[in-house]
Amino acid sequence: MKTFTLLPVRSLLEGGRESAKPGSILKAGGVDLLDRMKEGLETPDRVVSIAHVPGHDGIEVGPPARIGALATLARLDSHAELRRVYPALADAAGGAATPQIRNMATLGGNLAQRPRCWYFRQAEFDCTKKGGAQCFALNGENRFHAIFDTDVCCCIHPSATAVALLAYAARVDTVGTRGKRSISIEDFFVAPREDPTRENQLAAGEVIEAVVLPAPAPGSRSVYKKLKEKESFDWPLVETAVSVSVSRGTIQDARVVLGSVSPVPRRARGAEKILAGARPSAELIARAAEAAVAGATPLSQNAHKVRLARVMVERALREILA
Amino acid sequence: MPAVGQNVLRKEGRGKVTGAAKYVDDLSFPGMLYGSTIRSTIPCGRIRSTRPEFDPSEWVVAGVPDIPGKNVIALIEDDQPCLADGRVRHVAEPILLLAHADREALAGAKVAVDYEPETPVYDPAASPRVFKEILIEKGDLGKGFSRAARVVEGEYRTGHQEQLYIECNGVIAVPENGGITVYGSLQCPYYVHKALVVLLGLPPERVRVVQTETGGGFGGKEEYPSMLAGHASILALKAGRPVKMVYDRVEDMLATTKRHPSIVRHRTGVASDGRIVAMDIDVLMDGGAYLTLSPVVLSRGVLHATGPYRCDDVRVHGRVVMTNTPPNGAFRGFGAPQTLFAAEVHMERISEALEMDPVRLRELNLFRPGDTTATGQVLGADCSAAEVLREAVARTGFDARRQALSGTNAGIGLSLFFHGSGFTGGGEVRLASRASLALTPTGARILVGSTEIGQGTRTIHAQIVADALGIPYENVEVSDADTACVPDSGPTVASRTCMVVGKILQNCALEMKARLGSLSPARYLELHGPLVVTREYEKPAELEWSDETYRGDAYGAYGWGCNVAEVERDPDTFEIRPVRLTAVCEIGKAIHPTLAAGQIEGGTAQGIGYAILEEVVFRDGAMANAQMTNYVVPTTLDTPPIDVVILESAYPHGPHGAKGIGEMPIDGPAPAIVNAIRHMGVDLRQIPATPERVMEASCVSP
Repeated sequence: MKTFTLLPVRSLLEGGRESAKPGSILKAGGVDLLDRMKEGLETPDRVVSIAHVPGHDGIEVGPPARIGALATLARLDSHAELRRVYPALADAAGGAATPQIRNMATLGGNLAQRPRCWYFRQAEFDCTKKGGAQCFALNGENRFHAIFDTDVCCCIHPSATAVALLAYAARVDTVGTRGKRSISIEDFFVAPREDPTRENQLAAGEVIEAVVLPAPAPGSRSVYKKLKEKESFDWPLVETAVSVSVSRGTIQDARVVLGSVSPVPRRARGAEKILAGARPSAELIARAAEAAVAGATPLSQNAHKVRLARVMVERALREILA
Repeated sequence: MPAVGQNVLRKEGRGKVTGAAKYVDDLSFPGMLYGSTIRSTIPCGRIRSTRPEFDPSEWVVAGVPDIPGKNVIALIEDDQPCLADGRVRHVAEPILLLAHADREALAGAKVAVDYEPETPVYDPAASPRVFKEILIEKGDLGKGFSRAARVVEGEYRTGHQEQLYIECNGVIAVPENGGITVYGSLQCPYYVHKALVVLLGLPPERVRVVQTETGGGFGGKEEYPSMLAGHASILALKAGRPVKMVYDRVEDMLATTKRHPSIVRHRTGVASDGRIVAMDIDVLMDGGAYLTLSPVVLSRGVLHATGPYRCDDVRVHGRVVMTNTPPNGAFRGFGAPQTLFAAEVHMERISEALEMDPVRLRELNLFRPGDTTATGQVLGADCSAAEVLREAVARTGFDARRQALSGTNAGIGLSLFFHGSGFTGGGEVRLASRASLALTPTGARILVGSTEIGQGTRTIHAQIVADALGIPYENVEVSDADTACVPDSGPTVASRTCMVVGKILQNCALEMKARLGSLSPARYLELHGPLVVTREYEKPAELEWSDETYRGDAYGAYGWGCNVAEVERDPDTFEIRPVRLTAVCEIGKAIHPTLAAGQIEGGTAQGIGYAILEEVVFRDGAMANAQMTNYVVPTTLDTPPIDVVILESAYPHGPHGAKGIGEMPIDGPAPAIVNAIRHMGVDLRQIPATPERVMEASCVSP
C-alpha cells in the first residue's frame, strides 16, 4: 500500500472540501477504503478522515427518523427503538460483515462503498467500472453477479442498508462545497448505463450527512431477508427488504426491494403492483414473488440466483403477511 | 505426575497470546530491501523478451543468469525451475525478481513480458504427460469378478482446495558468513536447506535456515518455501543486503500450491451377501505444471483408495498428470481425502444398489486385525475399524436417526476411514531422521528439525521427553528449528511428528536417563561436561516394503476414523447446512488430549469446507477467486457442533502407543456429508456440494 498522509478534519464540509483536492480521498470508518487501497485500486496521497467529526452519529427514531451518516452498523443493529420501528434496517445493518467491521463501518460508508465484483477488485482487470472497455464478468466468472440490468456492467451493489432504506422510501441528506441537498434514495444510485464508473450521484466535495426515513404508515410491517454462503463475513447472494401496510385485511401499499441482483438496488415494481389493493393469500404471495423476478436476464453461471431471489421474496412476504 | 495424557500449557502459547511471538514480517535487518516477483500472465508459451518499465539503475533486478547454482527447486525430480528459463508452463510462474528499499515502489514496478503463447492443457484426462503411474495388484481381479453377483461402478470428483493458513508465505534472506541465512514461515527447514544448497551452489554449512513463528501450514508450507527462499536468496546475494519477501493474500493464493483435484473410478464386484469380492480402482490426479510432490501425493492416494475394506482381488491404478496450472502440492491428507471420498461415497452406492443397510455393509467388509491391505500388509491388533464404526453408530443412534429422517429435508450419513501415519513405505528408512537432546542444569533441551506450526509439536515433544527422563514438563526446553543447531528430523508432514520423531526423542531421553544414573543434571554437567544424545529412526524389524512392486507394509501404523454427519437441505435454495458432526478417531494415544481434540475439530471444520463450500475457480489457467472474500471457507457460525471422541489402541512402536493424528480428521467429513445428502435421495458424486450442484443433482431446473 502506498504511503499517505492522514488528514483528520473537524466538519463534514471541511471533509468535502479537502477530499475534492487532487490526490485526496474521503474516509469515514475506512473499512472498504482500506481494502481498495490494499488492492491497489486507490492510491491517494491524502486520506481525509471524517471519522471523528462530532455530532453526526446520532440516531433519532422519530418518526420520521434521522440517522447521522457516521452512526455505525453495530449501533443501528443494537438500537432497540430503531429496531422496533424500522426492523429491516436494523437487520440489514446487523447481518453485514462481522462484529469487528460493524463496529467501524458507518451508515454513510455502507451506502457509498464500491462493488465486490472480483474483476473490479483486481487491479489487473481494466473493466468498465474502472473506465475500461469491457465487463469481464459478462462472459467470465459471473456466479455472484447481476441477473438484472446486465448490459454494461454486471456487478451487484454491495450495500445491505440501501436495500432496507429503499423499502422505507428514505432520503439521503448531503452537505458539500455547493451547499446542502436532500436526495431520494432511489435517485441516489446511478445505474451503469448512465455512468459505469460510479454507483451514486455524490459530486466531488459532497458528503453524506444523514439518512431520513419517513414515518411508516399505520399498520405497516417490514422485514429484511438474505441468503449468504457463509453465515458471517460474507456478502449476500440475494437479499430483499419488504415493507407493506395492511388495513382492514387489504394491502394498501407495498414496497418490495431486491438487493445483490443488479448494479443498483432494485424496486420490484411488478410485485408491488400485484400486492397493492389485494388481500393476502398464499397464491398472491407466490404470484408477487414470481413477478419480482420477471424479466430477469441471468448470466451464464447465475440462473440459480433467479430462483433464490424469488424464494427470498416469497419467504419475506409470508413472514409479514402471515 | 506424568505429563503425557495431561493438558499441559503449550510451550509457545504465552508468546502467541501476549503478542511477543515474532512472525517473519515482524523481523527487520539493517539495510534490508523488499523483494517482489514478476510472474507469468499466460498459462503456456515462450518468453521472447522482458523489458523493465522503470529505471533499472535504482533497482536490484535478478533473472536466471543471477542464479549461482542450478536453476531448479530440488525436491523429488529437479524439474521445476526457480525462475522460468525461456518458457512458462503456468500462470504466476516466476520470471524475474525485483528488490527495492521502498516497499510501495515495488507494487508499481512493471515489467513488459513479450510471449509467444502455446495451447495450454487444463483437462487432466487429456494431458500428454504422466508424472507418475502406480499399480497395486493383489490376487486375481478376473477371478474376483467371476464370483460377483453384482458389479457397481461409479466416478467421483473432487476439486482444488486452498490451505488458507492465516499467515501468508514469507521469508527474509540475509547474506552472511560467506553464505546465506533464511528466516521464514515454513514447515520443513531442511527441505529449504537442501534446495538452497543446489540453487545457490553453496556448501551445506554456508546455508542456514531458521523457522520463525509460523501462522499455520496445512502442507502449504511444505514445498513452496523452498521456492520463495530461493527468490529472496538470489536477490540478497546479488544486492549484498538482506531481502524480505512476504506475499499478500492474492499472490499467495494465485501462485502457491493447492490440493490435487481428482477423478476416481470404482468398479466393484459384490457377492449376494454383500461381501466385496473384487475392486478395480482408477485414480487420476491433476498435478499442475511441475512434478513437485505429486508422486508421493499419488502414492498416499492409491494406498488409501480401497478404503478400510478387505478384499482378496484388487487392482488400484493411479496416475498423476501435468496440466498448465500452478503445481498442486501438499495439503493435510495428501491424496487420501480424494480417494477416501470416492471409496466411501461408492460404498454408499453399493449399499443403495444392494438395498442393504450402510452400517451392515461396512461391518461385513471392514478391516479387522489380521486382515491384509491391498499391498498385502497384515494389520496388527491396533486395527480399530470395527471399534470406531461401532462407537459412532451407537453414540449417534444412527439407525434410529436414519429412519426418523427418511423422507424429510434432512439426512444422516457416515464415513469410515483410515490414515497411514508417517512416510509412505520405505520413506522413513530413507529419511533416517535424527533427533537430539541436550542436558541442561535443570533438565533437557530438545533439538529437532520438526516445526511448531500451531499443532503443538513443542508441547507434545516436551511431554514425551519429560516423562522418559522423569522430570517436570516445565524443565524441558525446546530449541528453535534452526538448521545451525538442530539435526534433520525429517519434514513436519505426514502425521509423523508425534509417532516418528516423538519416538526418537523418547529413545534419546531414555538413553540420557541411563547415562545420568543417579546423578542430577547439574551434578552430571559439573562432573562430565556437556551431554548431547542423538538418536536416529529405528525401523521396526517386522516392517517390509518394496517401492518397486508396491507390496508390503505401506505404513508403520494407521489411525482409524468414523464420521457421522447430519445435514439439512433448504427445499427451495438447496443450501446444505451441517447440523451435527460426530468424529470418532482412534489415534493410539492422545499425548495432549486438548491438542488432539483441536486437531480433530480443526481438520473436521476444514473437511466441511472441502465438502460444501470451498471451490477454487480457474479461468484461463489462473485462480479467479484468489481473495478471501470470494474463496469461501466456513466461519465458526457455519461449523456445526463437533462431537469429538478419541479412542486409544496402542501402536507398539509409537511413543506411549501414539499414532499420527494431524491429517486423518480431514478424510471423513466430505464423504459423510455427501452420504447424508444421498440419504435424501440426491445422487451427488462430486464436491464441493454447492447449492447449484445439489439443485442439479436433485433434478430441479432453476
